Amino acid sequence: MNMETIRELQAYGYIFLTVFLAIGLYAYIYHLYRAEKKGTRNYEKYADIALHDNIDDAPVEAISPLNKEKE
Amino acid sequence: MQEKNALNYDYSVAKCFTYATILFGIIGMLIGVVIAYQMAFPQLNYLAGEYGTYSRLRPLHTSGVIFGFLLSGIFATWYYVGQRVLKVSMAESKFLMVVGKLHFWIYMITILTAVVTLFMGISTSKEYAELEWPLDIAVVVLWVLWGISIFGLVGIRREKTLYISMWYYIATFLGVAMLYLFNNMEVPTYFVSGYGKWYHSVSMYAGTNDAMVQWWYGHNAVAFVFTVPIIAMIYYFLPKESGQPVFSYKLSLLSFWGLMFVYLWAGGHHLLFSTVPDWVQTMGSIFSVILILPSWGSAINMLLTMKGQWGQLKENPLVKFMVLASTFYMLSTLEGPIQAIKSVNALAHFTDWIPGHVHDGTLGWVGFMTMAALFHMAPRMYKRELYSKKLMESQFWVQTTGIVMYFSSMWIAGITQGMMWRATDQYGNLAYSFIDTVTVLIPYYALRATGGLLYLVGFFMFTYNMYKTMTASKAIASEPQNASPMAA
Amino acid sequence: MFHWLERNPFFFAVGVFLVVAYAGVVTILPDFMESARPVVGTKPYSVLELAGRQIYIKDSCNACHSQLVRPFKSETDRYGMYSLSGEYAYDRPFLWGSKRTGPDLMRVGNYRTTDWHEYHMLNPKSVVPGSIMPAYKHMFKNNADIDTAYAEAYTVKTVFNVPYDKPDMPKLGTFDEAKKDAFEAAAVIVADMKSTEVKEAFKRGEIKEIVALVAYLNSLK
Repeated sequence: MNMETIRELQAYGYIFLTVFLAIGLYAYIYHLYRAEKKGTRNYEKYADIALHDNIDDAPVEAISPLNKEKE
Repeated sequence: MQEKNALNYDYSVAKCFTYATILFGIIGMLIGVVIAYQMAFPQLNYLAGEYGTYSRLRPLHTSGVIFGFLLSGIFATWYYVGQRVLKVSMAESKFLMVVGKLHFWIYMITILTAVVTLFMGISTSKEYAELEWPLDIAVVVLWVLWGISIFGLVGIRREKTLYISMWYYIATFLGVAMLYLFNNMEVPTYFVSGYGKWYHSVSMYAGTNDAMVQWWYGHNAVAFVFTVPIIAMIYYFLPKESGQPVFSYKLSLLSFWGLMFVYLWAGGHHLLFSTVPDWVQTMGSIFSVILILPSWGSAINMLLTMKGQWGQLKENPLVKFMVLASTFYMLSTLEGPIQAIKSVNALAHFTDWIPGHVHDGTLGWVGFMTMAALFHMAPRMYKRELYSKKLMESQFWVQTTGIVMYFSSMWIAGITQGMMWRATDQYGNLAYSFIDTVTVLIPYYALRATGGLLYLVGFFMFTYNMYKTMTASKAIASEPQNASPMAA
Repeated sequence: MFHWLERNPFFFAVGVFLVVAYAGVVTILPDFMESARPVVGTKPYSVLELAGRQIYIKDSCNACHSQLVRPFKSETDRYGMYSLSGEYAYDRPFLWGSKRTGPDLMRVGNYRTTDWHEYHMLNPKSVVPGSIMPAYKHMFKNNADIDTAYAEAYTVKTVFNVPYDKPDMPKLGTFDEAKKDAFEAAAVIVADMKSTEVKEAFKRGEIKEIVALVAYLNSLK
């Protein structure tokens, strides 16, 4: 492979990153807010993981067979 | 989970790493102060013969604080935070307990050997990767053990969702693993030729390529040791200490991915105007500026967490440490991109402005956050209240003064030096010989070293306070929910 | 998709790794194809120079001295021609440094001599008043490690095809040949030096660190 081809591929790699970064991050923001609005998942509640972290506190989302099937 | 009342978090490994943090903090910072004074008073180079020159000690200072002080700080907080946010105790798994202990002892042996070998001048010369191949292998082993400990604990967790701090710890683990491996690719010369020292090796990469790999590593070692795990700490300790949930958990997630995407691209800014391809340099410059966004995303998120709770700054020195840490994070993540702009870099590169920048990040952000984290952990690990609030307050001001002296003198020194290097007389000849640009800086070097000394004094205050907390402080009956208890 | 990633630590880790590694794959890897090509006239280091280079590394000279002349008039006026990528083709590791507490040394061989270095390493202030560089007296006591230097040259020759023993290139040969050559090269430098200590040691068959270091510094052009 000669240097020109490599440079071209690098440029494509870079453009891909820029596009992916922009689309990916905006989609992520959209996802975060939509999940909250639709009530499927409130991300803010995960902040409580740090605040209620005693070993006998109830987990914010426990690992249980029931939960696993819902996934 | 009432039936498990007897179960408690097990902090034995976290305690070990806490002692290591303090020990290496003292060693690393002490050497730092010595070499800083050496620049102002060169006679100090001859205190320990061959082993006391500035050049021998400099890698010891950087490795000592990065891989001694900070890394053990990261491990200490991991063995504390990890259990808590996953709601699982180390005591529940004998295997993880053994891994944790092994991790600690291999770590201690590796770092202590590193200290000795660096004194002896056994070095590969690559910044922050000076260790020769036998020690590199030891580092890989201890890193794998840490990985087992992380994913092992994740595997038996009760909390289904990983808290944001966990994300950052995992990213630290993966990022450093990749960078360290690639940058330390080397061929042991004895095993190829049969001659010479058995521990000597030669880099797999040559010249410009070596430089690119080195600064891809060097820059991102900063990312994944000085930034990512410290964010992991602050996302846990600030909310926990203040009792305030993270201002916007969504923003914290978004900043995480932003940081991961962007950080690795910025390494080129260490090589501006060098012989690496031009587009790599430009890209390094551009991404460094973009990097402001995710960095400030985290920092602002932290400051906003304290919204409406600023009164705590007055009452709780720990909150003060952490808020100052995030402020310094904002400062240095703005300063870095400014230095990465090509025209600024032309002036700033190779000058004292660069160590100045590094130190307002490390002293202000990294150091303060690590010490605040250990302060927060101490009452919970030792079941005693913190020994002295007053001492903490004075430590805060002594160290803050130290940092301000440090970076202000280095800003002036760096810009002075850069301007003098390029100054010309009316005929276009260089106005200053090199030595002119050195002697003019000596007062600033003295000032800088004194700033560093103040910080070290503060660290001794921290050490004393921790020691007294462990041994002589008043016992507490139950673990405090938020604000750490402290005696006046 | 996003939530699935957040729930599965393993795939999350894979995702993070891919994102983190991507930059390296695009920016770093491809350039290994090209930039190691030496410019015309660049030669690998002789064994004595390599021994000196190892001392340069041992004492971390690169903590204060860069070896990279940037393409600005103020730098080319001070240090000479700006650096070209190919000039570093045989530098393993590279020694560009990141801080100029002292001046750049990329082309120090063009304007400093053996006796200047000798005075300077014994007492920097004697030739540069006001210098803050420490003296390196131990370099006049410790012996240079020719064995390890040979090991390094042999390794880069066999593993990385560095052109030793090629036409117009430095000779390496067997260990004994290389050692003989190193002593011949050292003799030239020792003859230019004043230190009786170094001269007498050389007669006993010892090459002091300073000799090798000066050989290396003189080779930087």
